[in-house]
Amino acid sequence: MIAKHRVASVLVFLLLFPLIMPYEALALNILIFGLYAVGFNLLFGYTGLLSFGHAAFFGVGSYLTGITIVHFGLPWWLAIVAGTLASGVAGLLIGFLAIRTRGIYFSMVTLALGQIVYYAFYKAERWTGGENGLRGVTVEQINVFGLTRDFVNPLTKYYVLYVFVALALWLVSRILASPFGAVIESIRENENRTAACGYNVARAKLLIFTLSAVICGLAGALRALHLSIVPIDSLHYLLSGQAVMMCLLGGMGTFFGPFVGAAVFLYLEDVATSFTTHWMAIVGVVFMIFVLFFPKGIWGTLVQQWQRRASSVETK
Amino acid sequence: MSDSSTGKPVNLRRRILAGGAAGLTIAGAQFVSRMAFAQTGPIKIGFPTPLTGAFSSEAQDQVRAAELAVKEFNAGGGFNGRKCELLVRDDKLNPGEAATRTLELIEKDKVDLIVGSLSAATQLSINAVCKARKVLFNSISQSDAINEAKDWSFYTFHEALTPHITAGAVARYAFPKFGKKVVYLTADYAYGHEMVRGFQRAGQAFGMQTLADIRHPLGTSDFSSFLPRIQALKPDVLVLCNFGRDLVNAAKQVTDFGLKQNMKVITPVLLYTSRQAGGAEAFEGIIGGTSYYWGLEDRIPTAKAFNDKFRKAYAGAVPSDYGALGYAGIRSVLQAITEARSTNATAVANVMRKMRYDFYKGVQNYRLCDHQSVQSVIVVESKSKAMKDKYDVFNVLSIEAPDEKNLRTCDELGHKVLS
Repeated sequence: MIAKHRVASVLVFLLLFPLIMPYEALALNILIFGLYAVGFNLLFGYTGLLSFGHAAFFGVGSYLTGITIVHFGLPWWLAIVAGTLASGVAGLLIGFLAIRTRGIYFSMVTLALGQIVYYAFYKAERWTGGENGLRGVTVEQINVFGLTRDFVNPLTKYYVLYVFVALALWLVSRILASPFGAVIESIRENENRTAACGYNVARAKLLIFTLSAVICGLAGALRALHLSIVPIDSLHYLLSGQAVMMCLLGGMGTFFGPFVGAAVFLYLEDVATSFTTHWMAIVGVVFMIFVLFFPKGIWGTLVQQWQRRASSVETK
Repeated sequence: MSDSSTGKPVNLRRRILAGGAAGLTIAGAQFVSRMAFAQTGPIKIGFPTPLTGAFSSEAQDQVRAAELAVKEFNAGGGFNGRKCELLVRDDKLNPGEAATRTLELIEKDKVDLIVGSLSAATQLSINAVCKARKVLFNSISQSDAINEAKDWSFYTFHEALTPHITAGAVARYAFPKFGKKVVYLTADYAYGHEMVRGFQRAGQAFGMQTLADIRHPLGTSDFSSFLPRIQALKPDVLVLCNFGRDLVNAAKQVTDFGLKQNMKVITPVLLYTSRQAGGAEAFEGIIGGTSYYWGLEDRIPTAKAFNDKFRKAYAGAVPSDYGALGYAGIRSVLQAITEARSTNATAVANVMRKMRYDFYKGVQNYRLCDHQSVQSVIVVESKSKAMKDKYDVFNVLSIEAPDEKNLRTCDELGHKVLS
């Protein structure tokens, strides 16, 4: 049931999500970083390519959304489109250079290119605000089909951004269910054999790299609207690392895993920070426990359990 | 791991039901707790500051001093019997986290106003969030950008100094005394550039001559490649326009390289905490500006009163400059609430605009056009000899009296003058 309608199940869950979170801003962060991790997972979990430069796409999406609102006065929805597209272009360029390498070299090349993007935005102070970050990405009211809504209201903001996340999740699910989805998974399993079967591996890699960048860029675009600022940290390599952590924690190569990872990571961080300044130690220990004892991640382990049970019921 | 002996379908349904019920209970509880918020509860002040990260020791001092101000207010009976509650949040020195935490404070905790921050970027992000929600924010960290019309709002107040006025005060003191040829060693980011601008502006009056503005990346630990060049330029004055660890490292290496023998080393912001971290020898003879030094107590009675309260509360320790700002930031909003007889942001802002206050360093007031606190700047010199105790690290050289003309003009900041 859940497996059959994975998008619908996730969306119903996310619809109720703000109600079980301590505050809406956290729910929104989880929604946004969940999408970011889902985009990253396309490349990492499904294609088997470990990129350490995905913050570049998140940041480009964020900055271009912010810049088009602040400097060009674009309406918010067009700005989201602009940010997402720009991130796709960045994905195409970086992907074009990076997919020529494999394994650790791929990770290093993406990391290096990500750093180049970081410094380019850091130095373009006139456009990006540099160290101070980009401010003024303020959307106070939105108007959809003649309906005016107060965008400052946290719940309104959540559900508006939720619509974009829903569309992206549907797209990701559609990609994974397509023959192309099967191709990228077979690249993960055995690249040479996929090539031998007649698939153009380089093109498939570039395409999935770009799509992954588009999804991550959308997540960044939504964050610019959520926080009404774009901090330079959006492009920092630590954020690239966070995507890896979230995927591993939730379960790489599963549809819902990255969301679970993002939720657990951010919720844990939020709770731990409120009672100790050594929150990093707590988050680190939990992460280590999961990597050591649940290598499939939280969601991956659960899915595995369910499948085992289902098959044992069938055999009875 | 799995037990597959019992009947599954019933079990599974029960589990789903139980899970659903638990979920609803949590959701319900959260909802009720939000509803239970009372209008007449305590006055809540949100205090986001980087308890973790590079400035954690300064931030913890801010919190200690802020708590002192709150305790004092509550001991005095509060406002209409309403006590004050300080909600400290760790912004991790990360602007995104600062914005999230501020949203939490405003949306979940329903704070009446926000005081805090300890970096240019985080205060600007906190300000952006507060501005959109018309929540009053009193920033206690240095920045030039926050006063500019682009970022500023009617609800923005700036208790701390700006790089411009701090650098200016040091320049006005040091430039006439030590010669006309200057070299800047600058951390290459907004804050560093703002300080250089402050020095150069003030230096014009004395006919100062900039030999070079040498930029180093933020977070440089090895300055040895810059030092021979500085020596070859033979300046009269070397200005270290960097902050925190960068400043400590630069000061140490400048000392070891022997540059101090040929030139005077000055820095716009010389923090008590940096000096403690860097040690007496590295900072020996370096002149810099600061918003507060506890040694003011010899000449300013309110400083004496503040130090005594702080010493009593924290086992004899003295407040640092940033700590003192935490105290003043909280006291001024609380005083404004009391005078306005309201926690309404507009009413409080209107009172603050008119307030003249002296909490710890002499009389201050907020300039009308940008709500910058007009205040004195203390120029200190670090010493390594004749120290009375471990707290005695600076000689106070001069106190530049508060004067609006030392700030950037309202016009320059882009304000269509409100006054």
